[in-house]
Order: sequence, then C-alpha cells, then structure tokens
Amino acid sequence: MEQFVRVRVVQGNALDLSLFQFDTDLTFAAFFLNADRTVYGRFGTRSEQKRADKEITMDGFREALTGALELHRDYPANKSALQGKQPLPVKFKTPEQYPGLSGKYTATLNLSTGKVASSCIHCHQVGEAQRKLFRADNQPIPDEVLHPWPVPDVVGLSFDPKTKAKLAGVAAGSAAEKAGFKAGDELISLEGQPLLSIADVQWVLHQAKVPATLKAAVRREGGPLDLTLQLDKFWRRNSEISWRPTTWDLRRMALGGLVLKELDATTRSQLGLPDTALALRVDYVGQYGEHAAGKKAGFKKEDILVNCDDMTQRMTESDLLRNLLQKRMAGSRVPVTVLRGSEKLTLELPIQ
Amino acid sequence: MLRHLLPLAVGLCVAASSLPAAQTQTRDQMVLSDRDNVLGGGKWIYNDLAKGLDEAQRAGKPLLVVLRCVP
Repeated sequence: MEQFVRVRVVQGNALDLSLFQFDTDLTFAAFFLNADRTVYGRFGTRSEQKRADKEITMDGFREALTGALELHRDYPANKSALQGKQPLPVKFKTPEQYPGLSGKYTATLNLSTGKVASSCIHCHQVGEAQRKLFRADNQPIPDEVLHPWPVPDVVGLSFDPKTKAKLAGVAAGSAAEKAGFKAGDELISLEGQPLLSIADVQWVLHQAKVPATLKAAVRREGGPLDLTLQLDKFWRRNSEISWRPTTWDLRRMALGGLVLKELDATTRSQLGLPDTALALRVDYVGQYGEHAAGKKAGFKKEDILVNCDDMTQRMTESDLLRNLLQKRMAGSRVPVTVLRGSEKLTLELPIQ
Repeated sequence: MLRHLLPLAVGLCVAASSLPAAQTQTRDQMVLSDRDNVLGGGKWIYNDLAKGLDEAQRAGKPLLVVLRCVP
C-alpha cells in the first residue's frame, strides 16, 4: 500500500465523471491511476443485493494492487495496451450538472451535523439521472443503460474473486463455453486490455456492442491461448438488475412502485400456471409519492401478474421493466391481469 | 501498516457486510467519524483528487482512489 498515493472519496459531489467511470450502483469501488490520469484498472463488482462480498475479497484486491504496480513500472511503454481502459467523453463532467441533480446539490458536502447525508450526491443518483434524461425526452431507455456493467456470469464466465481474473467455472451452454473457455483459465487480457480484476472484465462488457466479438488472451496450464467470445444481439439482456439501487426508480417509472418476484415453482404448479407463462408476484407495494401509483391503481401485495400489456410469456422483473421502459412512455396506462386468491382482475398500471 | 490499511479495510468490510457498531450511528455520524479516522491516520488524502495527483506526480507513485459511499 505504501507504494501508492492513496485518496479516499466519499461523495459524488464534484466527482470527475470524465475520469471516474464505474458501476455507480456500487458502494465501494477503486481506481488505479497514473498521475497523468491514465487508468491502469478498476476494482469493485457486485451482482446481488445481500451478498456484497461475493465478488470482493482482500486477496483479489491485493492481486489487483500488485498488477497495477506492474503496469506502473512498465508505463508509458504499455500506453497503447491501456488505451481501451480509458474513460469515454461525457456530456456532464460532474453529477451536479445533470438536469435531475442541478440546483439541488453543491460541489462540497455540508459537514454540519444533520446536513451531511442530505447534501451528499450518492453514486447511484448518477445512474438515475442518466435514465431520467431518456424519460424526459420520451425516448426508450436503451439496453446498455438499463443493463450497465454486466457481470461476466452473463456470458458464462465465473471468476474466482480471490484472483485478478482466473476462471472458477464456465456455464454449460454459454457463449463462454462455446468459445472454449475452461475453469482454471487465467484471462490475461480482453480486447487487448490487461486485466486486474473482474471490474476490468465488466468495463469491456460495458462497452461491448450487440452483437459483439471479443478477443481474449488466456493462460492455460502455463501456456498462452487465444480465444474468441461471440455474443449475440441480446446477450446484455441476461444481466439481472433487480438488485441495483437504481432499479428502485425504474420501478417508480414502469411499475408504479411495485416490487415483483418470480412465483416459486410450487405455487406455480398449484395454480396450474405453465413454466412458460408470466407469473410475477407482487412482493412489495410502494406507499409514498409516485411510488404509490401502483397502490392507488388497486394493486395489492401477493397479487400475481399473469398478463401485462398483452405479454404472457415467462419473464423476470428485469425483463418486464425493460419491455415497459422501452415501449411505454410516461403518461400511458398498461392493462394488467392479476390473480388475487380465486379472482382474476384487470387493473391499469400507470407509467410515469 | 495496519494504520495505512484502516480506511481500505473499513471500506471493504462495510461493503461486504453490515457492521453492528455502525448501525448505532446516524448516517451523518458515520461520515464524520470516517473523515476523522482518515484524516487522523495521515496516510490517506481525503476527498481531494487534485492533491493526490500532485503527490503521485511528485513521488512517481501510482494513485489508488477509493470511492466509498459511507452513509
């Protein structure tokens, strides 16, 4: 650690978004930089609400630090290899410049007791502000904004969080398996970018187009190997977003504040609902402001959605959010059929 | 050494779990005590990227920037 100059940033206020581009749904993220602002790598990954430690370990962080020091020693000879890791141009250089945040926050925290937390821009507010731009313009929110920073599991790559980027497993039938990846492989680079962490893999996936062809340099049993990952047009949609803090605001927009969970197999069977049918249970009904729009429309906890906007195929809450946010703009009303006990009711979901 | 790692270790631990002690503090108190810990340790620069970049340039060291949502 003594080999680094260490900076701790605890606020989104005045955060330089032209440099710090990361998954803003995280509550912990790290950057390794050169003094000239060149990014060596990123650290910090999350894929679940409760298990924040699933992809973060001290061992993994130590590996990333060591890798960053190696890149620093080789700099600037390795500058071209680092090019793909560099941030992209941004429309708003700091969070408080976003229309949804401007005028509400200043560049510094108010450290007076009782004012600190309320004066702080939380990182997830940046993601929310980005999405509101599309809503305000009556534009569908694109896949890459709804499904940011895909975890590598989406393409079938499961990494050991105690390493920089060593595969713990490869999902059967996945794009990764088709590409030839195997458990135990060490990913050295992806799209030519040297990897320090799972977050570095996510950066490549975050920038990837649809469809995408990604080149990987792998070390297997001590020897080098080149593999090619082919991703189809809809690969990004496998990225689950229900755990993300920013999804709370998406629920306000598309679900009137409802939180939906997939119906368990037993209940599905008891109700005679096929495995292929839509069956999303209302797990929570928002109570205040725009989050209470579902409640005001008559939805209740434990209702089961079996038809939403004429969609009856099985889908997750993430899928339903994407469908509604890409097809329905604020002000429209969506017909929904719910099962409530032995009754079948038709309600209208207000889109906001 | 332990003192150097304290802010990072706290960040990782809090990111990974909920600390019972932290739950007894208000969000404001958590931010202020985190600030006191970091500044008191003297090994981390607090909320000042420009100072960190200058120091990295002067020392020829790489920069580690930890973004941590405390409250």
